[in-house]
Amino acid sequence: MRARLPLLAVLLSIAMVTSAEAWSYKDAAKPYAGQSITILDEITPLQETMKTLVPEFVKETGIQVDYQLLNHFEVISKGQADMLSGRGAYDGVMVHSPQLGLLLQADVVRPIDDLLGNKTISNPDLDLKDVIQPAWDSVAKFKGKTYGLLDWNYNVVYWARGDVLNHPDEKAAFKKRYNYDLAPAKTLQQMRDIAEFFTRKKGEKLAGQPLESDFYGVVLEGIKGGTTFWTLWNVFIKNSGGDVFDAEGRPTIDRPENVAGLKLWAEMWKFAPPGQAEYSLIDVPTVMGNGIAAQTLAWSDFVLGIDQPGKSKYAGKFVYAGSPAGKSGTRSAETEPSMIVISKHSKKAEATYLFLQWLVDKQTQKRFFEVSKGAGVPIRESTWSLGELKQSRFAALYDAMRETLKNGRAKPKAPKIFEVMDVMSGLVQEVALGRKTAEQGLKEGQEKVLAICKKCTL
Amino acid sequence: MSTRQQAESRRRTLFSLVAAAWALIVVLPVLWMTLMMFKPEAIMFARPPVWLFPPTLAHFDYVLAQGFVWNLVASLVIALISTLLVVLVGTPAAYAFARYPIRRRDDLLLFVLATRMAPPIALAIPFYLIYARVGLLDTYVGLIVAYLTFNLSFYVWVLWSFCRDLPVELEEAARTDGYPRAHVLLRVVLPLLRPGIIATAMLCFIFAWNEFLYAFLLGGKSMETLPVAVPKLITSQGVKWGELSVVGIVALLPVLLAVFLLQRHIVRGLTMGAVKG
Amino acid sequence: MYALSTRATATGAGWFPYALIAPAMLTLVIVALVPFVYTIYLSLHEMQFARVGDWAGLANYRALLGNARFWHSVWISTVFVALAVPLEFALGLLGALVLNQGVRCRSLIVPVLFVPTMMAPIVVAILWKVMLAGSWGLVSYNVLERFGILSDISVLASPALALYALVFIDVWQWTPFVMLALFAGLSSLPMAPYRAAAVDGATSVQMFRRLTIPLLMPLMAVIVLLRLIDAFKIFDTIFLLTAGGPGQATESLSLFTYKTVFDFWNLGTASATAVVIWIMFFVFSNAFYQLARRTLRAF
Repeated sequence: MRARLPLLAVLLSIAMVTSAEAWSYKDAAKPYAGQSITILDEITPLQETMKTLVPEFVKETGIQVDYQLLNHFEVISKGQADMLSGRGAYDGVMVHSPQLGLLLQADVVRPIDDLLGNKTISNPDLDLKDVIQPAWDSVAKFKGKTYGLLDWNYNVVYWARGDVLNHPDEKAAFKKRYNYDLAPAKTLQQMRDIAEFFTRKKGEKLAGQPLESDFYGVVLEGIKGGTTFWTLWNVFIKNSGGDVFDAEGRPTIDRPENVAGLKLWAEMWKFAPPGQAEYSLIDVPTVMGNGIAAQTLAWSDFVLGIDQPGKSKYAGKFVYAGSPAGKSGTRSAETEPSMIVISKHSKKAEATYLFLQWLVDKQTQKRFFEVSKGAGVPIRESTWSLGELKQSRFAALYDAMRETLKNGRAKPKAPKIFEVMDVMSGLVQEVALGRKTAEQGLKEGQEKVLAICKKCTL
Repeated sequence: MSTRQQAESRRRTLFSLVAAAWALIVVLPVLWMTLMMFKPEAIMFARPPVWLFPPTLAHFDYVLAQGFVWNLVASLVIALISTLLVVLVGTPAAYAFARYPIRRRDDLLLFVLATRMAPPIALAIPFYLIYARVGLLDTYVGLIVAYLTFNLSFYVWVLWSFCRDLPVELEEAARTDGYPRAHVLLRVVLPLLRPGIIATAMLCFIFAWNEFLYAFLLGGKSMETLPVAVPKLITSQGVKWGELSVVGIVALLPVLLAVFLLQRHIVRGLTMGAVKG
Repeated sequence: MYALSTRATATGAGWFPYALIAPAMLTLVIVALVPFVYTIYLSLHEMQFARVGDWAGLANYRALLGNARFWHSVWISTVFVALAVPLEFALGLLGALVLNQGVRCRSLIVPVLFVPTMMAPIVVAILWKVMLAGSWGLVSYNVLERFGILSDISVLASPALALYALVFIDVWQWTPFVMLALFAGLSSLPMAPYRAAAVDGATSVQMFRRLTIPLLMPLMAVIVLLRLIDAFKIFDTIFLLTAGGPGQATESLSLFTYKTVFDFWNLGTASATAVVIWIMFFVFSNAFYQLARRTLRAF
């Protein structure tokens, strides 16, 4: 008997070592097999592709997943209604970064630190260092806690008509006028010059051909609400050295740097289609896809939808670059790191966590890019080197995304951020339409935002 | 034909042409949307617009694959049942308000109308909260009940005005002949009210068929009507215009058919039989 | 002359009329009154997202009534309704009269004319986006740009014109509703008074003024009142086409309420809005009803 104890110990330790290395979803999910979870995510072709992979998770773990997809506004309204009312019909809800201020204040999001540290259900190969930063930290981490994994890494890239920018006649004329070479804009100032250069009336020549209708140098989102103000804030204002809030979260709307950034943005409107004040993120790709404008700053997943044969006459003629820099040293880009959070009212946190983990798993991500034929918004650094991306028709777009993502952060966690955004969105529209000066608009903005919150961030 | 008849015939033709031209102009955007159902995406908004093109059925495929048929069924069931309930409950009420000296009639009528005066958006979350508590979310019953709120007031008020135009003599004659009130209501009044009932019921059906906010908020996976299927086609990666057109036009067809078939009940024309001059 | 007596005449009916109205009243009390009373309850409390907080008395109301944005949205909605409904009524009545005169192929024309009202408002919004979007819209390119009308201006992006565009779309959508209702009304009119008037030698204009208008008055008044209340709540088109902009040019009451509820989750204010608007409509409808009864003999 005595002699067997050491043997037993050895056998046990071997067993422990081998079992630690053989972590699998199947084993980790054993206590939860048979449970049903409901996940709410936003619908775009990306999620539709992901949906085709979900049965693989179900098969491996035995956890039933109802992966529901709704449009942007509905995901926000229904998702929040469900969490805030305590109904808890959704175990996991996709949230955009600006929603977090409100949801954290209402305390309806379940932190995942305990789940991340739980060795039984946490995949040791998850390799969270591989997740793109600062995207994940800026959206998920708050006051020492982690609230989710990075699921969708939306980003805004510079998108332009390559055929027009590369035309020899245009290049010669541009150089003559502006004294530098015509190329995809690296700075906002260059973007402005190119916009001015390419704004032409019907009948004038563009790339050697007479225009059949008016052509514009740039198109941007300008509708009230939407993502208009985020792009203005993160690209124009921040790159001019300004910001909406200071380090303590107090509103500093009427800073001189903000005025400069707003002025530059407003100036772009001179070279944009007359409908810009009604353009949302669905108009911009439509305008670009129909060859009405030369440049834009657009969400890269849009581009994935337009720059394909059969979707646009100009497919294959576009060029991309990272979000342009400003004059100041800081570089900022508009990105929207989004994550699926676990609702505090969910009774199946572990099963939900297993699914959320699986979504960001290296294997799943690789499978995703295989199935989507190299179309997606990467959340992992290792994705950039995948063959599917390097050989896809979107290789240049991915370089642009990578560049953008280096400088993109989540929105501040301010519970009243939508009110602030709503007020400012209307004001900057009026500035761009020439009904107010930038100074007036921002001064009014400061007063109105102070009435909403004196210290806006949590 | 006498000159009077000729003049009338000419007038009719003139009016017909005016009406036809008006109809065409009004419906032109919808005809464009019908074209969009078959248009390949690349030329959807081509400038100048493309009228002749090789049609594609891709949009239909996508919509069908999304389970669109279930949306159609859900919309049909909910709109039909809620309209039926509204007619059953509202018709006697409208008649009673018109014909009988009910105490505080004005106040009651105003109460009926008052039920549709608060903006639905502001009531949406209270509704959601109540429904969540009683378990009516994502159920057919829940939405049918919600539609009763909006349609009953509309139905009672509009039908009430129809009832007031009913010739009282017929009912009085039937009463003096000794028939009970219920019989008078069913046998004399209802046939005369038919055009009004059908027209108003049709409008109620259309409101229920097309309603979005409550169907969206109070619905869910088990209960998804047609209008709720529309925003899913507006993704942040682009709008599926072709698919949207399919849903929009196909949602129109059942209603169009119903109106086409039922219109003769609305138009009583010049043969008004029962009333003796 | 045919007696235009339309007042309630039956007497001695006992409980019968009350039995007739009972199901409707009961349904409305349960289905409409309960949520509304709950909304009043919410409006009197501090709301923390969806949780009911402490008693707040009239604080939410004070905040709402002191909110310039609220009043601006009421103004915008009022202007919108004041422009749209009279147009819908005039065109609808005209159309109903034309149809009633007798048109050929009426059974084909009527359903087609009715199509705009039959389409889901959300689809109508998208349809007009496709028509009027700046630069890429069908009408924008083929009509406006081609003929140089409103050059360098996009209707939906123009603070001056956006509201009118929305009025136009509303008229397009709801005129058929008015038309069909009034047409049904015209078809239901009793023939006897007309025959009697013809025997007396009345002209068609006289018949129209003395018979048609008074007989149709109840229905016309009801339709106008209903349209006034419903047009005030317009949402889908504004949300999709302008989102309340540019600036605040088209921020209607429904848009203000939508944002308060779904963007800001300010349920206290939203509930107060529901009650305040309800009160405004109630007062207005009451006045309308009394006025229409006395001057137009409509009720």
